[in-house]
Amino acid sequence: MDFTALGITALVAVLCGLDRTAAGQFMICRPIVAAPLTGLLLGEATIGLQIGAMLELLWLGRLPVGAAIPPDDSQVAVGCTFLAVMGHAQTGLPPQALAAASLLIGMPFGKAGQLFDRLARLLNARLLNRAELALDSSQPKQLEKLHLYGLWHFAAASLATLAVVICGGMVCLPLFCKYMETSLVSAAPWLWLLFPLVGIGSLLSGLKVPRGAFLFGGSFVIGLFVLALR
Amino acid sequence: MKLPRSVLLRVLSRSFLLQASWNYEQMQSLGLIYALGPAFRYYYRDAVLLAAYRRHLEYFNTHPYLATTVIGAVLKLEEQTQQGIDPGFTIKEFKSALVAPCAAMGDAFFWGAVRPVAAVFALLLAFHGSWWGPVSFLVLFNLPHIWFRLQGLIKGYGGGVRVVSLLQRWHLSDWAIYLKQSLVVLLGFFTAVLGATAAENLDAGLAWGCFAGPVVMALSVLLRRKVTPLLMIILLSLLLLSWYQLH
Repeated sequence: MDFTALGITALVAVLCGLDRTAAGQFMICRPIVAAPLTGLLLGEATIGLQIGAMLELLWLGRLPVGAAIPPDDSQVAVGCTFLAVMGHAQTGLPPQALAAASLLIGMPFGKAGQLFDRLARLLNARLLNRAELALDSSQPKQLEKLHLYGLWHFAAASLATLAVVICGGMVCLPLFCKYMETSLVSAAPWLWLLFPLVGIGSLLSGLKVPRGAFLFGGSFVIGLFVLALR
Repeated sequence: MKLPRSVLLRVLSRSFLLQASWNYEQMQSLGLIYALGPAFRYYYRDAVLLAAYRRHLEYFNTHPYLATTVIGAVLKLEEQTQQGIDPGFTIKEFKSALVAPCAAMGDAFFWGAVRPVAAVFALLLAFHGSWWGPVSFLVLFNLPHIWFRLQGLIKGYGGGVRVVSLLQRWHLSDWAIYLKQSLVVLLGFFTAVLGATAAENLDAGLAWGCFAGPVVMALSVLLRRKVTPLLMIILLSLLLLSWYQLH
């Protein structure tokens, strides 16, 4: 295993994990940014861009509203890019096929992210008790330190999710590629289309927009017409 | 005692870490204290500072991008209370009245509208391998993000309780609806692009791309019936792989 690549991936995972909730929320954590960034740093930018484009829409409709925790697509994007880049170096399969394979394997493991995220938030609740104690002992500065301590919890949760995605992927991906190699290569161009199609369906299913069907149908027909004129 | 610009800048920069200790009990309460910290230390000392912190160590949850609006208004109210001006309600009452509408408007506008519109626009570029995809996503999303954070603090601190009418003037709920309509249009166009690519894969005429629209509509109906996207993608991918395995 390439430990430098793993270290870089872990750094991107922490950056994205923090950006997701705890710090900034500039949306570096979105797959369309996180995966290409990982790919770029690992020297396989195209694989990252492909993974980001395939994954972006799938869980975009799951909003981080109130106490709801959406599936951790950031760590899935980062972890799957790492898996695909390593797989590409080892097997020589086409990038598109490996991007699809690593996502199919990595996405179910990514569900663990919700568990770790919940755990981080539960641990953060303990900081509140310590904050009360700090106020009782007249240490207002301590409150600010305790608040920043929460960043460690979120960073640890990101790394834990990444570890599950990468470990699970490293066990399952070689087997998957070995048995499905031929069909994977043939099906790759279709899988490349299938992911965004399901993503669009998923987004549309959650949208309540006046005249939505009319707008969608109209722009689809006009779009096809414009593409036909090219 | 008016806050200097340097203190307001520190409050603004700290607002980016509002959710660092997000938890299920009081959600962003410690984050609020962290953001208010530089201003409070300017206003208060010793026991009064402790009392101010204790006053704000309570449930607080709003949209992180609109939080600066609440923070700015809270700072103004703290300032007015010091000057002996009675706004007719407590800061606690004002905060609890403002956080929920800000959260609802922010969720609908940023998470439900700006983010998907920026994402679909970026995907239209990234799908053809363009690096402008991720770049345009970051720019399109973060322009309104940063603008609202900055304006929220300036207007919130400048206006105090009058910030409520400012929030109404922003018409965020209406903008969310317009953006969602644009999103549906972009999704329709993106589906057409995917349909055209599928027709190219098949080496068939573009007319075959017409199937993409109904396929997406059928998928959206299925997904509305509690089928998760993950399950659907795995099932459809396995079907596709089995087809190629058998042929």
